[in-house]
Amino acid sequence: MKQRPINPSSSSARPTTEAAADSPLAQDLAALLTHEDADRARDRWKVNRARRIERRSRAAGKLRVLWLLVGPGVLVFLGENDAPSMLSYSATGARFGIGFFIPFVVLTFAMGLVVQEMTVRLGAVTHRGHAELIFDRFGKFWGFFSLGDLVLGNFLTLVTEFIGIRAGLGFFGIRPAVAVGAALLLVFAAMTTGRYWTWERITLGLAIFNGLFVPAALLAHPNWREVGHALITWTPLPHGNGFDILMLMLADIGATVTPWMIFFQQSAVVDKGMQPRDIAAGRVDTLLGALLATLFAIATILATAPLLHHGIDASQFQAAQFAEALEPWIGRAGASLFALGIFEAGIVAAIAISTSSAYAFGEVLRTGHSLNRPIRDAWPFYSTLLGSAAAAAGLVLIPRAPLEFIVLIVNVVAVLAMPPALAFLVLLVNDREVMGDEVNTFGQNVGAIGVTVLLIVAGVGFGVATVFPHWLKF
Amino acid sequence: MNPADARPEDTEEGAAAETPDLEDPRAVLSVLEADQIVAAKQRTRFGRRELSAGVRVLLWGMRVYVVIMLVLVVISAIRVIHGTR
Repeated sequence: MKQRPINPSSSSARPTTEAAADSPLAQDLAALLTHEDADRARDRWKVNRARRIERRSRAAGKLRVLWLLVGPGVLVFLGENDAPSMLSYSATGARFGIGFFIPFVVLTFAMGLVVQEMTVRLGAVTHRGHAELIFDRFGKFWGFFSLGDLVLGNFLTLVTEFIGIRAGLGFFGIRPAVAVGAALLLVFAAMTTGRYWTWERITLGLAIFNGLFVPAALLAHPNWREVGHALITWTPLPHGNGFDILMLMLADIGATVTPWMIFFQQSAVVDKGMQPRDIAAGRVDTLLGALLATLFAIATILATAPLLHHGIDASQFQAAQFAEALEPWIGRAGASLFALGIFEAGIVAAIAISTSSAYAFGEVLRTGHSLNRPIRDAWPFYSTLLGSAAAAAGLVLIPRAPLEFIVLIVNVVAVLAMPPALAFLVLLVNDREVMGDEVNTFGQNVGAIGVTVLLIVAGVGFGVATVFPHWLKF
Repeated sequence: MNPADARPEDTEEGAAAETPDLEDPRAVLSVLEADQIVAAKQRTRFGRRELSAGVRVLLWGMRVYVVIMLVLVVISAIRVIHGTR
């Protein structure tokens, strides 16, 4: 099936669940089907068959449906448990141990869940990516602002992913150029599958190794009573330099809610071919991702908590240094798991974030933007994907590049860029012309606006602390 | 499932086929929604929405917020790197 050029039409899109076969345009559309449509139809066929099994055998069918529809939510949350995030959790554990930050991290993931659920609905109802919707509904002026925030944040974050990859493999004596080159090859290999489904399963397979932080945590023998107490009471509260505590709180928030997650999950939901009747499964997928990511983030805090108890100053540590410093307490095996976890966090995020940039560019440039397309049909999409990863990888290898600066600001920039991204998201998800009956409920709006206000308060707190640093010295 | 959502492959005959022949356009059209087809998406757009004064103030406010905060982030990071805090 080859794609024929079609004349642009002025007709407006509208939310619908009408099957293409029942559309008055069916005959016309049949002549215009693409390889991308066929691949997506194959995935839909499997989901629909699983739903039939579900009617005969509830448990087996439900599991099969879930297996087929799980993906974007788990990927987005495990992708966001990336190298700078794991570094941020490592610093949290090493400097404040088991206490306030354990429930705080749970809260940040709950905030992430509220945000990401909206992207599932937007993608499933409109079948359009986030960048495309912003450009369509708000125009180019606001669209380019939004895209600018995304591109800046994504590039900075990608750089830190490759720093993590270099540091993680550096623990095993692998040279930086080899580590970064191998990671880039992996990004390339994943994108050449020509099938969204295959790409998703490969990336999910890699992402599950985020769980390496769990055995590392168990080897640290955490005091489970302390963990339970901290979860319930949010104590002991962190002590020390108020500015440092605030920065760490911002970094931990930036480790769970960022603009790329919004753009990525919505585009992935569209590429997967999810439909309004899949929204419930999409919610389960997103919840599963949030739960796994919370577990692995807490495990990272627990794994590095021994550094606090043994009086190790971790304030200037980078990723691999945490693994080296932990070796006396969690052994070579534990430290190796930790270093491998940092590598995994970097590589999965590099794949997901470069894909989110490519989706956004493809949507804005109105060129093919699907992992279901062969490279020759969507070369601008794949060039953006690989080009953004390669540029970040290259920067990491440049001597005296300002990497320390980028590591310091990346998660904070993510938090500060989030309120505008959330504003567009909330406006879109309340837009009945776009969402039909799937607009936000009152409760969902309370959650979404609450998250936005919290992020703004955190950002303003950061601003005040920067301008008047002595206010936070106690 | 809502009966209105039922699709051709939800019928006994439709489900009987182990794998669909995706070279047959009818098989593709039977499982995808009308606005899920690439050509349909290229033909139609969600048009511009009318931005009320309140929405414009909100979006400009957010933009100013980001610019100010980015300047503060750079100042803060430079202070940390030079150890002047």
